[in-house]
Amino acid sequence: MSLTIDSISKRFSEVQALDDVSLEMSPGEVFGLLGANGAGKTTAMRIVLDILRPDSGTIAWNGKLNTDVPRDTWGYLPEERGLYAKMKVLDQLVFFAKLHGVKPKAAERETRDWLERFRIPEYADRRAEQLSKGNQQKIQFIAAILHDPDVLLMDEPFTGLDPVNAALLKEAFLELRDRGKTLVFSTHQMETVEELCQSIAILDRGRVVVGGAVRDVRRSTGRQVVRLSVDGDPEIAWLASLDGVRVTRRGQDYTEAVVSQGYDPEAVLRAALARNCRLIHFEITDPSLEEIFIEHVGQIDTTERTLAPKAVRA
Amino acid sequence: MNGWRTLFPNAWYVTVREFRSRATSRSFVVGTVLLAAIAFAAAQLPVLIDFAQGTSETRVEVFVRASGLPSDALTVVGHVLNGAPAPDSNAHKAYALSWLADGDLASAQSALEQGKFDALLIIDRDASSRDLLFTLRTDMPSDGRQAQTIASATQMLAIEDGLVRAGTSTASVLAPSSFTVLPVSPSGTAAVNSVSQEISSSLLSTGLIVLIFMAIITYGTWVAMSVAEEKSSRVMELMLNATTPLQMLAGKVIGNGAAGLTQYGIILAAVIGGLIAQGPIHQAVLGGSSSGVAFGGLNAPVLGAFAVLFVLGFLLYSLLYAALGSLVSRQEDVQSATSPLMMLIMLGYFMSIFGLQAINDTWVRIVSFVPFFSPYLMLARVSVGRVEIWEFALAVVFLLVSIGIALVVTARIYSAGVLLYGQRVGLRQILTAARVSR
Repeated sequence: MSLTIDSISKRFSEVQALDDVSLEMSPGEVFGLLGANGAGKTTAMRIVLDILRPDSGTIAWNGKLNTDVPRDTWGYLPEERGLYAKMKVLDQLVFFAKLHGVKPKAAERETRDWLERFRIPEYADRRAEQLSKGNQQKIQFIAAILHDPDVLLMDEPFTGLDPVNAALLKEAFLELRDRGKTLVFSTHQMETVEELCQSIAILDRGRVVVGGAVRDVRRSTGRQVVRLSVDGDPEIAWLASLDGVRVTRRGQDYTEAVVSQGYDPEAVLRAALARNCRLIHFEITDPSLEEIFIEHVGQIDTTERTLAPKAVRA
Repeated sequence: MNGWRTLFPNAWYVTVREFRSRATSRSFVVGTVLLAAIAFAAAQLPVLIDFAQGTSETRVEVFVRASGLPSDALTVVGHVLNGAPAPDSNAHKAYALSWLADGDLASAQSALEQGKFDALLIIDRDASSRDLLFTLRTDMPSDGRQAQTIASATQMLAIEDGLVRAGTSTASVLAPSSFTVLPVSPSGTAAVNSVSQEISSSLLSTGLIVLIFMAIITYGTWVAMSVAEEKSSRVMELMLNATTPLQMLAGKVIGNGAAGLTQYGIILAAVIGGLIAQGPIHQAVLGGSSSGVAFGGLNAPVLGAFAVLFVLGFLLYSLLYAALGSLVSRQEDVQSATSPLMMLIMLGYFMSIFGLQAINDTWVRIVSFVPFFSPYLMLARVSVGRVEIWEFALAVVFLLVSIGIALVVTARIYSAGVLLYGQRVGLRQILTAARVSR
C-alpha cells in the first residue's frame, strides 16, 4: 500500500527535468515535495498522473503501474489555477465530479458540504470569475477531492491563501490524512512542511538531494541548533565567541545559532549562566528544514528554469 | 493506452458542457437573433425590389387617329411591352397603357405636359400607302430602353396591320410557332433540362456549397477558440486529470458543432419562414403576389447528400481546428494558427465554384473523391444530378476513413499541444511532443 516512484527520468530537449528520481509515499501520510523553481516538482506530479510520460522509470500505486490505475485514484490541484470563468461554481464542481464518475446527486451534496466547510456556501451560484483568487483556489481544491481520490497531488496549494484560509485547508489536509489518503504537495513554505509532513524530499535540478522522514532529515546533519533570548540583551554578542557556535539568526524574539558536530549545545547554556544572563528562552533543537534546504540547494536560484507553464498575460 | 479508454460517459459530459456554455453565451444569443433577423429580412428582398419597381412604371398614352386598326391592336402592343400575359393578371407591369381611340389630341397633349404620362404615342395612317405612322412625344431618351421597346411594339403592330390588309388571319402574329427541342442522341429521352432548371440547380449547388463553407469556417473556429480558451484559462490541467484527450476532443467537436448547427438551424428556419411569409407580405404591401422563389432541383436525394456531406465535412475540419487550437496559448493567436486550414477550406470552395461550370471534367470527378474537398465537390455533382450511387458511397467511405485518421492524429497533437505553453510551436515540436506524450 504505497505510491512508489522508481528511478524516473525525463528530459525536455536541453533540460534534464528529472534525473533518476525515486520516492515512496505511504497512505495516511502527508508528503512534502520541496525544491526551487524548476527543480522538477510539477513535472514529477504530471508524470505520476500520467499526463506526461517519463523517458525511463515506473510509477506504481499499490503495486499497479500508474497507467493501469483507474483515473479517479488521483486528485490533482495544478499549480496554475484555472476554472471555467463563466460557469457557476456549483455547476463546474458537479461537472468535474461527474467526469470522475460521481453521480450527479451525490456530487451536488458533496459540493455543498465542502462549500459549507470552507465557509463559502453562498458562492455556489456565482460565476467563477466573480470570486477572489483565494476563493477560486478553495474551489479548485474541492474540485480535486470531490471524487474521494486515494492519492491527492497538489502543486503549491497554500500559495496566495490568507492565514484563515490556509488554516481551513490544513484542517482539510489532516482530515483526509486521517481517512487514510496519501497527500503529496509541493511548497516553498518550510513551516507548513514542518507542521504537516511526515516525510519530504528536496529536489534540485531534477535530482533528489535529501529525502525521508522529516525527523531523520533534520537530524541527518549531526548539528544542533540552540535558540535563546536574554532579558535586556537582544544582541547576545558573546554567543559568536563560543567555539563551534555560529549565529544564524538575530531576531527581536530570539537568537538562533548552529552548534557544529562534536560540540555540546549545553555549553551555550552554561556560558549564559556563567555570564549571569537572565534567560527567557532556551531551546535545543535540530536544524530547521529551511536551513537544510538552503544548505543543499544553495541560495534560491533566481534564474528562471521552470518548465511548468507560465501565466500568460491576456 | 489511456487515450483510448471508453469515450462515454465523459465525452458526453464534455459535450453537454460545451454546448451549454456556448449556447448560453451572450455572443451566441445576440448573434443568432441578429442573423435570424437579417436572414428573414433578406428573404423579403424580392418584395422590396417589386416595391421599388412599382413606382417606376412607364405610363404611355396611345392616341389613335388611324382608322381600321386590327381589332387586337391593344393586346399586341401590350404583349410586346409587358411580355406574354402572366397567369396572374395582378403581376407587376412595366408599362401602363391608356388607349384613346377617340377624343381630342389637345387634351391628350395637356395630360402629357402635366406629367400624367411619360409618353404620348400617336398612330396615324399614311393617306397614299395606307401604312401606319407612329409618333412618340416624350422627354425620355430616344435611344433609351423604353423608346426602343415602344418602337418594337409599333413594329409588331405595323406587321399585323399589313397582314390584315393583305387578308391573312390576325391570329398568326401572336400564335407561337411549332418548335420542338430534342436531345443530341436520337435515342435519348426527351427529358432535356430547361434553362430555368439548369440555372436553379446551379444556384442551388452554389447555395448549398456556401452553406457548408460558412458552417465549417465559422463553427470550426469556435472549436479552436474553445480549445484555446481552456488552455489559456488553465482549466486544461484539471481536465487532463479528469478526462482523456480523446474524450475532451470528442466533446468539444460535437458540443460546439451542435451549438453551431442549432444556430444554423434557427437561421435557416428564419429564411424559410421569410420565404413563406413573402407572399402574404407582398400581398399586404403591394397588393398582388410576388414572383416567388422556386427551389428547383431541391429533392430528397440532394438534401440527404447535403446532410451527410455537411456532417462529415464539419467533423473532419473541426478535428483539425481542435488540433491547431491546442497549439496556441492565447485565444488571440487562434486566427493565425488556423490560417493554413482556412487556405485549404478556401481552396476547396473555389474549386467547387469553378467545378460547377465544368461539372463533367475529369479533374472535378477526381477531386470530388478527395476527402478535404469531397464535401463541396461531391455535393456540387450530386445537386447537378450527375453522380452514380457508388461514386457517392466511395466519397463517403473516404471521408469516414480520413475522419478516423484525423481523430488519431489530432488526439496525439492535442494531448501534446495542450501542455505546450508560451512557445511558438513548430512542426518538429509537435511531432516530438506527440511521440513522447501519452
